Amino acid sequence: MNKEKTDGLKARGKFVGFFRSLPEKAKKKFSGTKEILTQGNGKVCASMCIMGLGQLLYKQWAKGIIFLVLQLAFIAYFVLTGATDLFGFFTLGTREGNAWYGVEGDNSVVMLIMGIFAILMIVFYVAIYISNVKDVYKTQCACDTSKNPELFKSEVAGLLDKSFYKTALALPVIGVCVFSILPIVFMILIAFTNYGGDTIPPALVDWVGFQNFAKILTLGQFAPTFFKIFGWNMIWAVLSTAINYFAGLGLALLLNKACVKGKAFWRAFPILAYAIPGFITLLGFKFMFSYGGPINYYIQNAGNPAVDFLGINAQWTARLIGLAVNAWISIPSTMLLATGILSNINTDLYEAARVDGASAWKQFIKITLPYMLFATTPVLISQFIGNFNNFGIFYFLRGGLYTEGYFLASDTDLLINWLYNMSIDNNYYSIGAAISLIIFIITSVISLAVYVFSPSYKQEETFR
Amino acid sequence: MNKAKSKVIKAKSKKVLNVLITYCILIIVAFIFFFPCLWLILASFSKSGSIYSFDGFFPSEYSTDSFVTLFTDTVMYNYRQWFFNTLFIAGMSCIFGTLFTILTAYCMSRFRFRSRKAMMKTTLVLGMFPSFMGTIAVYLLMTQFNLINQHWGLILIYSAQAPMGYMVQKGFFDTIPYSIDEAARIDGASNFTVFVKFILPLSKPILVYTALTAFTWPWSDFILPKMLLQDKNLYTVAVGLMSLGETEFARFAAGSIIIAIPIIILYFCLVKYMINGMSAGAVKE
Repeated sequence: MNKEKTDGLKARGKFVGFFRSLPEKAKKKFSGTKEILTQGNGKVCASMCIMGLGQLLYKQWAKGIIFLVLQLAFIAYFVLTGATDLFGFFTLGTREGNAWYGVEGDNSVVMLIMGIFAILMIVFYVAIYISNVKDVYKTQCACDTSKNPELFKSEVAGLLDKSFYKTALALPVIGVCVFSILPIVFMILIAFTNYGGDTIPPALVDWVGFQNFAKILTLGQFAPTFFKIFGWNMIWAVLSTAINYFAGLGLALLLNKACVKGKAFWRAFPILAYAIPGFITLLGFKFMFSYGGPINYYIQNAGNPAVDFLGINAQWTARLIGLAVNAWISIPSTMLLATGILSNINTDLYEAARVDGASAWKQFIKITLPYMLFATTPVLISQFIGNFNNFGIFYFLRGGLYTEGYFLASDTDLLINWLYNMSIDNNYYSIGAAISLIIFIITSVISLAVYVFSPSYKQEETFR
Repeated sequence: MNKAKSKVIKAKSKKVLNVLITYCILIIVAFIFFFPCLWLILASFSKSGSIYSFDGFFPSEYSTDSFVTLFTDTVMYNYRQWFFNTLFIAGMSCIFGTLFTILTAYCMSRFRFRSRKAMMKTTLVLGMFPSFMGTIAVYLLMTQFNLINQHWGLILIYSAQAPMGYMVQKGFFDTIPYSIDEAARIDGASNFTVFVKFILPLSKPILVYTALTAFTWPWSDFILPKMLLQDKNLYTVAVGLMSLGETEFARFAAGSIIIAIPIIILYFCLVKYMINGMSAGAVKE
């Protein structure tokens, strides 16, 4: 209790401190820029005008040429398509297509995405430009203090040593920017347009501000369904994450026991489940629980009427089956992960605990669990989010069902299924995007809070 | 004397009971995980393809027809082609995806640079967005890059999105003692050398885990290929199998078993790396 309180206070202090320190930070940043602007010599100015020129004047040929080529490439891109793309981002198209008159109109959605792409390119360019100016200023400082500026060769060598992270992260960062960040930004922006319904290309899409959010909060059509699904979604995420985590950890510990002979053999069964692609498992289970499926065959043979496990009225049976099937699919991967991490625990700890006469349970509580939680808090969060947005389970088990009292959804559907129904099956793109933004805000607040208070963030260096 | 003896017997019987319970649980777990697989295997050997002609879990007549037709009857369902498509896409994505993920995780674990915390928080936040909302945008991007109906387009997406899940690997690298790095750096090794020569050999368990997940994701994904591949001959197995109806249940089961086999083989080849983390014996602090 006390600890929680101090943690909370600390976090608040941090929060307040962050904003208090903002002006100072800005000043610090600005002073660097000011220094370059006032102290920089002609060669620095040359680099400010044309990237790489300053480096060339300092006779750093290779670096200068690389910067120059980058600048030329960017200008070429900007002149050829970038400028129009950027312009299109704000207008979202002005000419409506008309097949009758053979007018090829603007495709607003493509214009939006290419506009984001252009902005991304500009950000990249600015980053390179700043590093260019900084680089030439560094050279100037080195020359002024009559030190030899760092040779290009040694700088390249540094890319494998001191700044190895720059080399290693370059491709992943670009990839994530283009294929993860850009689509998500697109989705966020879509929430502020009227894209969807009748307004899909070739019709022109337009910016509408917060209208979609207002619609969700005021229209009786969306709000009740949203809250009903959200409640079930939370229950589902918590239950399934807890079940999968502890069952997977338990299974790993069970298989780690000294008395278990033939570990590879026993471990092979969960792996078998793990190896089968999820959609096959899901379709298989759907067949198994279907009205004419094998389980109902035995129920009927015993003289009982067939049970409609996944049918339209099967709210809780379908939910429980979903939980069980999800466990069947996810436990093996948690088990594998736990086995890998367990193998990394320093065995001395257990030795010491045994000498002190600690019971197996105590060893689990005091050593295994804290260590596991330390190593897997990020996984736990991502599993929670993964389960929160677990699309496959109910898409395959009960896809295409719309139950009464729900708008375009069934009573087992999670929010992600609802979004799928709305945006992909029924074209409510902008409403779907707006709802997913609301959900995102809720989930991100929860998980960021958990993450910041978790041991693996607070004491990153503990288990070193 | 007698008391001590009975105590020993008691402890012994307790131990036997412990072992007995352990094995009971193991058998139950094995059954739960194995039975649906067994059902699928049996179904693939059923003579009539439809699920409605089964006696409960068991087909009424057995034959190997569905396996033969799977590979010979390629007019409607070109399973052979689908299989090699999937193998190519998953293999390539696995190589690039693993590389990117491991590099990202290593940098995040070992380097302290500006914008590191910001990047970590950003990826965490990005991971919280519903995954397929972005797929509409990805589809539009792919049409712009002219990568629709091309396997390389899928490989690009899978490998580029893989580093988003670097957290597990970072957690692993965090638990590798720093003293290994420091010792190597004192000996004059560059960070690159430390990574390749010292960290990677210690990371085989997590490498295997990363590679397996990077492989199984494209191997069983259906949303992206369904959207990006329109030509039937370019399909992956997942999309292809989903186009099979209920009356083709035996063929579906046979196809499923065949695509599960490579991953099972992979596991049995790589199992030893996943079990014992090598750093257990590397540094004792």
